[in-house]
Amino acid sequence: MKKTFLLLLVLIAFSSCEKDDICDANTVTTPRLIIDFYDNLTFGTIPTTKAVTNLGISSVGFSNVILNAVTKIQVPLKVTDDVTAYTFTLNAGATVAPLPQSDQLQFNCTRKNVFISRACGYKTTFTLNSVSLNGTIVTATNTITSTWIQKIQVIQTNINNENETHIKIYF
Amino acid sequence: MKRTLKYIFSFFLIFVGFTLQAQEKKKDSTVTKVERYGVRVGIDAVKLATNFFDKNYKGIEFTGDYRLTKSYYLAAELGNETKTVKDSHLDFTTKGTFLKVGFDYNVYENWTGMRNLVYIGMRYGASTFSQTLNSYTIYNTNQYFGASQPIESGEKFSGLTAQWVEVVGGVKAEVLKNIFVGFSIRLNKLVTNKKPDNFDNLFIPGFNRTYDGDFGAGFNYTISYFIPLYKTVKKTKVVEKPKK
Repeated sequence: MKKTFLLLLVLIAFSSCEKDDICDANTVTTPRLIIDFYDNLTFGTIPTTKAVTNLGISSVGFSNVILNAVTKIQVPLKVTDDVTAYTFTLNAGATVAPLPQSDQLQFNCTRKNVFISRACGYKTTFTLNSVSLNGTIVTATNTITSTWIQKIQVIQTNINNENETHIKIYF
Repeated sequence: MKRTLKYIFSFFLIFVGFTLQAQEKKKDSTVTKVERYGVRVGIDAVKLATNFFDKNYKGIEFTGDYRLTKSYYLAAELGNETKTVKDSHLDFTTKGTFLKVGFDYNVYENWTGMRNLVYIGMRYGASTFSQTLNSYTIYNTNQYFGASQPIESGEKFSGLTAQWVEVVGGVKAEVLKNIFVGFSIRLNKLVTNKKPDNFDNLFIPGFNRTYDGDFGAGFNYTISYFIPLYKTVKKTKVVEKPKK
């Protein structure tokens, strides 16, 4: 009898110690948009990644982030707005040639808030409806006036995780 | 700390009951053992008290048991709870009714005239409830656009149900004639759990907080009144041992 009691007490003590109040870092939460950069010369053949020199990323009203020599970036999408706009700048901050070149990118999404768990709450997943480059919606065939980005390919429209590339940018 | 005090208080009251009755032992050559049978009805004092000091809780639990045999009691709990949980990412209100039915087995050998219980038992519990998601935040590891702000929702998930089994351990002590105080601890395991779409049953009335698995835990502190219905009388001769 005493043993049963003790066992119950121990079990209850342990059950209240379960660490489900802290969101596990391995949990798939709100994904960022994964963009890979490719050499435009390899478009249509075997695409080869190309590093961007001093890539400046900024959204109006928010800070400017500069990344050097990157081939893959993760950019957040707004969880409170269907439209997220960024300015991508090549050679950001340069004062001598090659000088900075900027392009406006706009991602139009449909958002869905999905329940994860008690500790993590909800996450937002996105369906990418269209991408605009300098105000024109990117399609497979249209040509868009741009300063440095040549082509944009949407690989994955369902943005549920960060395991795969969603967009390829050729320059 | 609040909980620790509660436990200390429980123990104190219960032992008062045990010691008071331990003094009533008589020296007789024949012992008349009277077993009283009846219904005990009570209320969970913890749930009742929580109404006053926790504005996010409204609830009540009635308990009842009926003595079937010398050691077996048919036992049940019936209650209603409305609880609002404010976690870091979620704010929700659960509202519903529960019923638990099962048995208690008294393992305590009482002295003559005593009617205390140290028991183990089982229950099958069922609850119907609704959940209202008051607000939530989006978990976003990237803070470029700022930290996530709570989103007001108000979405209501109705028609939810859950069933579970409980293993119970507890004591009941008669502190005044026919008045019992007792407490029990319970380990619960879910059998069925109808979850809402895009949310979870994080609290189930009667079952309490749910964890990642199927297990849960609970306890109550009851004050109950015994309504005697009939008694059995058993006379046994006691051969006194010679004193040393």
